[in-house]
Amino acid sequence: MTQIPLKELVPQEELMTSGHLACPGCGGSLAMRLVLKTLGPKTIVTLPACCWTIVAGPWPQSSLGVPLFHTAFETAASAASGIRAALDMKGDTETTVVAWAGDGGTFDIGLQALSGAAERNEDILYVCYDNEAYMNTGIQRSSATPWGAWTTTTPLGTPKSHPKKDLLAILAAHGIPYAATASVAYVADLVAKVKKARAIHGTRFLHILAPCPPGWKTSDEETIELARMAVLNRVFPLIEVEDGRRWRFTVEHPGDPVKAYLKRQGRFRHLTEEQILHVQAETDERWARLENRVAHGT
Amino acid sequence: MKKVIMGNHAVSWGVQLARAEVIAAYPITPQTQIVEALSEMCASGDLKARFIKVESEHSAMAACIGASATGARAFTATSSQGLALMHELLHWAGGGRLPIVMADVNRAMAPGWTVWTDQNDSLSQRDTGWIQLYCETNQEVLDTTIQSFKLAEAVDLPVMLVLDAFYLSHTSEPVDIPEAAEVDAFLPPRTARYRLDTSDPHAYGALTTPAVYMEMRLRQQEAMERARVVLDEIDAEWGKRFGRRYGAIEAYRMEGAELALVTSGTITSTSRQVVNDLRERGEKVGLVKVRMFRPFPGEALRGALGGVPQVAVLDRNISPGHSGIFAEELRAALYDLPPGRRPAIHGYIVGLGGRDVTPATILDCIARARAAAKPSTAPEPEDIWVGVTP
Amino acid sequence: MPEKPAGQDLAHGVPPIAVSTTSTLANRTGSWKYIQPIYQDRVAPCNAACPVGVDIEGCMDLLRRGKLDEARDLMLRENPMPAVTGRVCEHPCHAACSRGAFDEPVNIRAVERMLGERDLGARTNAAKPKGGAATPAPAAAARPKRKEKVAVVGSGPAGLACAYHLARLGYAVNVFESDPEPGGRLRYGIPEHKLPRAVLAREIDRIRAAGVTFRCDARLGANLAWETIERHDAVFIATGAREHEPRDWERHDLPAVRPGLDFLREVRAGEPPTIGRRVVVIGGTDAAVDCARTALRLGSEVVLLFHGAREEMEADAEAVAAACREGLRIECLARPVGLQLAGHASDEEALEAIESMFEAGDPGLPRTRLVGVACVRVRPPAPGEGGAPGRLSVPGSAFVVSADTVLTAQGAEPGCDFLPPDLHRRGFTIRCDEWGRTSKAGLFAGGDVAGEPRTVAHALGAGKRVAIGIDHWLRQRAGESPPEPDPKALRYGANGNVSITRWRGDDPVPRVNELNEVVPREMLNFAYFTHEPSRHDRWSAPGYGTSALAEVNLGLPPADALAEANRCFNCGVCNDCDVCMIVCPDVAIHRHAEHGFSLSYKYCKGCGLCVAECPRGAMTMTREGL
Repeated sequence: MTQIPLKELVPQEELMTSGHLACPGCGGSLAMRLVLKTLGPKTIVTLPACCWTIVAGPWPQSSLGVPLFHTAFETAASAASGIRAALDMKGDTETTVVAWAGDGGTFDIGLQALSGAAERNEDILYVCYDNEAYMNTGIQRSSATPWGAWTTTTPLGTPKSHPKKDLLAILAAHGIPYAATASVAYVADLVAKVKKARAIHGTRFLHILAPCPPGWKTSDEETIELARMAVLNRVFPLIEVEDGRRWRFTVEHPGDPVKAYLKRQGRFRHLTEEQILHVQAETDERWARLENRVAHGT
Repeated sequence: MKKVIMGNHAVSWGVQLARAEVIAAYPITPQTQIVEALSEMCASGDLKARFIKVESEHSAMAACIGASATGARAFTATSSQGLALMHELLHWAGGGRLPIVMADVNRAMAPGWTVWTDQNDSLSQRDTGWIQLYCETNQEVLDTTIQSFKLAEAVDLPVMLVLDAFYLSHTSEPVDIPEAAEVDAFLPPRTARYRLDTSDPHAYGALTTPAVYMEMRLRQQEAMERARVVLDEIDAEWGKRFGRRYGAIEAYRMEGAELALVTSGTITSTSRQVVNDLRERGEKVGLVKVRMFRPFPGEALRGALGGVPQVAVLDRNISPGHSGIFAEELRAALYDLPPGRRPAIHGYIVGLGGRDVTPATILDCIARARAAAKPSTAPEPEDIWVGVTP
Repeated sequence: MPEKPAGQDLAHGVPPIAVSTTSTLANRTGSWKYIQPIYQDRVAPCNAACPVGVDIEGCMDLLRRGKLDEARDLMLRENPMPAVTGRVCEHPCHAACSRGAFDEPVNIRAVERMLGERDLGARTNAAKPKGGAATPAPAAAARPKRKEKVAVVGSGPAGLACAYHLARLGYAVNVFESDPEPGGRLRYGIPEHKLPRAVLAREIDRIRAAGVTFRCDARLGANLAWETIERHDAVFIATGAREHEPRDWERHDLPAVRPGLDFLREVRAGEPPTIGRRVVVIGGTDAAVDCARTALRLGSEVVLLFHGAREEMEADAEAVAAACREGLRIECLARPVGLQLAGHASDEEALEAIESMFEAGDPGLPRTRLVGVACVRVRPPAPGEGGAPGRLSVPGSAFVVSADTVLTAQGAEPGCDFLPPDLHRRGFTIRCDEWGRTSKAGLFAGGDVAGEPRTVAHALGAGKRVAIGIDHWLRQRAGESPPEPDPKALRYGANGNVSITRWRGDDPVPRVNELNEVVPREMLNFAYFTHEPSRHDRWSAPGYGTSALAEVNLGLPPADALAEANRCFNCGVCNDCDVCMIVCPDVAIHRHAEHGFSLSYKYCKGCGLCVAECPRGAMTMTREGL
C-alpha cells in the first residue's frame, strides 16, 4: 500500500466534540483527539492546570465524551492514582485512567507526583502533551523549553540558557513498564503506542510533541509539519522504552539539519549562526547517547 | 470489645470499622501509628482497602480527592507540616464537596522544628470548607472517626477530626471498640450522587465564571449549615446505639456559673478536673467544651454562655497579629447577645508548642479572669499569654 | 443513609459542584476564521502530459479500488487502443509523474497495457493474447445514432482514433485505407517484436464493433475518387507521412539502398525480406531503430549512423538501449557522403566460385554491388557559429563503414498529390487548427499529415481533437447550436491534450469544485507515502530465426501492474484517504456516505492543517465566501 493506511489504523469513534476552545492549529487538541479515539470510551481523564483546562470548555460544557476531572496543577499523577484505587475497589479492571498534563505540570510542578506514581508503578497512563512552555498563562519558560527559545520569561537578550530536561530518561530510570515519545505528525506511530500502552498494566508514560502556533510564533497550518521536522532532524526522536531497559527507535530519523526547523519558528528567529551550530551540536550529542542506549540499554 | 489503645490506634480502628476503601497517607510524627496500623490491617485483610503509599501529603490529599470523586470512601491522616502542605487541596476537597475524612494530629508548626501539640496546624485551615471536630479522649476519637464518615457523606463535605499530639495520639486509654455489625448498621456503604463514571461521563471542576461561582459557594455554606443539624442527629443515633453522646459543644457543670472556661482538646479533661475541684469548694465555675469548630456552633455557644458574667477561653493556638482563634471567634459569635447577657471574654494563650497545661495553668487563668473583672483594674490586653517567660 | 436521588440537584440555579451538563457544540468556533478550506479537485500532471489525453489518474484510482472493468472503460473513453500504446508509447507521463520526485515514477505504460489486455487473459489462459474478440467499447456511453456520415481517409492511429470517437458519438464512419489492411504505421511500420499484428487486429476489432466500416486497398487519386469521399457530410484526411525524400548522395537505381519504411512494410506484409548481411541504417528516428532491430533479428550486422550525439536521437531511448543490447553499433556524429561500389566483394570471390560449380549459367549477382558507405565525422557548432545539425564536417575524418545494404530513415513527409490544390498548406503538411479545421469547410486534417509530433500517442490525441471538431461542425450544420470547443475547458490543465469525456459531458468520476489546473508539486505532501520501488517492464532475450518476431518487452503480469497502480499518488484528486478528517483538531470534517467529505464551517477555525497535510493537494484555502 503506497499510502500509510491511516484510514484503517485510526479508530473511527469520536470522543471529543467540535466547539472546544483551543487556538486554531493547536497540537495539543489534535493529540487529545487521537489519544481518546484510540483508548475508547472506557477512559477517565484527570487534567491539571494547563491549556486543556480552558480548551475543555467552561462549566457547564465539556468537549470530551469521557469523564473528566479537573485537578490542581501538581496533582495529575496523584489524583490519577486515587481514581485508579477507587476503580480497583469497585472491581473495574477495564477503565483506563489517564493523567493528561502539559509540560509545566509534568516537567516542573508535577514531577514529584509523577515520580511517586511511577515508583509505585501505579496503573495509570500518563500523557504529557508538550508545547514547550507555560502556554496557558502566556508563554513562560518551563524546563521543557528548548535551549535558545524566546519566551516571556526568557526574553530576547536572555533566551533559555538550559537544555530541555530529558524526561524520558528520568521516567526510564524509574523502570516503569512503558515509556515513549510520540508526535502528532506520526499518527500511525502514536496510535500504535497508545494501543500498546493501553494493554499494559502499571505506569505507562507518553510524551507527545504538540506544537503551539502562538507560543512558537508559527503559522496555524504548520503545526504538523513542525512536529514532523522535529522528528526528522532528531530534535524530538520517537522512541519507546520497556521496563526502563530496552530502548528502541520506532521510526526512521534521517538527521536533517536543525537549521531549517529553527528558522521557521519565530521563537528561534533571533538565533545567531553560532547558536544554531550549538543547537545542532547538542542535538547530535543527545542523539549519539540515545543510539548508545538503544544499542546497549544504558 | 474493650481495649487499651493509644489515640492513633483508635483512629485506625475507626477507619477499619468504617470500611474506608482508599487510604492515601504519608508518614509524619506523631501520626505514624495511624497509618502503620492501617497498613497492617490492609495487609492482613481485616480492612479491604487500597493503601497508596504516596510520596507527600499533597499527593495524599490529591489521591483522596481522585478516589472520592470516583465514589470511594477515602481517608488520610497527617499533622502540622503535612497538613500545611495539603492546604491548596483542602480547598479543593471542600469546594469539590468530597466527603473525605482526615485525622489531624494537632502538632505545632515549624520553624523551629517541633513534634509537640498545639492547634495552629488545624486552625490555619479553618477557611478551607472542612468540618472540624476536636476530640478529648481516645474513645471520642474512635467514635468521632466513624461518625465523621456518616456526617461527611450526609452533607458532602470533608471532615477533619483532630486529636492532640502525644497527649492523645500516644497515650493509651481504655476504649470500647464496637462490633463491626453494629457499625455497619450505623454506617452503610457510600452512594455518591456525582462520581466519575464512564457510563455517564461529565466534566468536574471546569472554569466557573463570576456569574455562577458565588452560588456554588453559597451551596457549600448551606451544606455547612445543614451539618449542624446532621451532627445532632448522628450524635443522637450514636447515643441510642452505643450509649455515648458528645454534641457540638458540651456544657459541664454550668449551672449558675459565674465564670465559664471554654476549652477544646485534652485541655478539656484537665479543666474538668479543675472545675470539679472548684465546685467542691463552692465556686461557681463551669466549663464549655467546643467539639465542633466548623461549622462554628455560634448559636449553641450563645445559649450556653449568654448571661454568664465571665468567660475564660483557653487557646492552645495563636493567630499572630490578632488573638487566640477560639477566643476571636467566640467574641464575634457572642457580640450580638444583648448587652446584659454578653459575657466579658478573656482570652488566654496556653500550651503552644506542646507546653504542658496543668491544673495550675488553668487556675492561673481563672485567677487572672477574676482579677480582670474588678472595676479598679486597668483594662487588660486582648489575650494573656500564660506561663511564658516574661 | 437514604439513596441519593437521581437527576439534577439544583439550588440557586446551580448544582453543588461544577459538573458539566452539555458539550461544547454551542460554541460556534467557526466565527473565528478569516480563511477557510474547500475541497477542490485539480488535474494530475500525468493527465496533462499524456499526448492522447487519458485520465490516467482516474484509471489508477479505479484500479486501486479494485474496479478493473471501470478502469478499463475509463481508459477506453479516451484511448481506443491501450494494448497498442501500452507497448509503443514513449510515456511522457512517466517523466511528469510526481512520484518520480519521491522515489520512482509509476510504470503507467505497463498499467495501460494491462488494461488493454484485460479480459483477454481470462478467456485464453496464456499471458500472450491469442485470439478471442477484443472488449467492445463501453456500452454505458453509447449515444443514439445520427444520420450524418463521415469519411476518414487513412487508418493510422489518427484516423482510427477519430473514427472510434465519432462512432461513439453516434455517427456512421467509413474508413478508407490504401494498404491491404488497416493500421498505417501500426500495421506496416512498427515491427512485430514491438507490436504483434494480433494485438493490433483486436484493437481494430473494437473500433469496428463501435460501428466503423473499413474499405482497404483504396487509394485516393488511384482507385478511390474524391466524389466518393465528398459524398460524406465531413471528411478527415489522416494520410500520414510516408514519402521519402532522397538525399543527394543516394543512387536511386541501386536496390541495396532503400527507404527504411519500405523495408519495414515488406517485413510486416510477410514478404521475404531483401537485405544483406551488413546493413547500415541512416537516421535517428524510431523508424531507423525499428529497421535496425528488425535487421538484427534477420541475422544481419547492423550499424546505425546518426548526425548528432546519441542523446539527440529522436527515437525512444528505451528502444535505442534495447537495440544496443541486441547488438546494434551506433556511430554518432557521423554523416554519409557517398557510396562505395565494387564489382564483387573480395571475400565473396571464393563463394562465387563454389556456387558457379552448382548453378548453371549466370550467377545472377549484379556487377555493381554496394560494399560500403563513405562517411565523415561531424561536429556540433561552436557557440555563436551557425550551421545546420550534422553539417559541420571535421576535416580529415573520412571513414568507411562496410555495408551491403543501406536503409534510410531520416524522416518521411506527407504526400499531397491527391489533395485539392486550393487546400492551404504549410510546406508539405496541411494547415489546420487544433480541432483539425482546414481552409475548406467540412474538410479536416490531423496527425502526421498536419505536421503534428510524429508519435502514435500524438496521432491518437489529434484524431480525438478532430472528432470534436467534426462533431461540433456537424451539429452546428444540423442547427443544434453546440458550444464552440474551448481548449481551456477541454485540455487537461493549460497544456495537456483534450478529454472527449469533458466534451461529451458524461464524466463518470465524481469531482468536487473542479479546477482545470495541474496540481502544483508544492501542494502535495509526500510524508504520508511509503517508499516502494517501481516494477519495471520485463524483457526477454531477442529471438532469432523463427522466433525473431517474438515480443521482447513483456510488460508486467496483471498482479504486478495492479501493484504498480497502487503506487499512484492520485495527484490533485480526493481519493477518500481520510487524512484531512484525521488531522482536523476541531473534528470539523466528516465523511459523506458515498465519496468525499463535508466540512462543518460552523466549527472550522480555518487553521489550514487539512490543506497542508492533504497528500495529493486536493484542497484549497480561500477567502471567498468570508
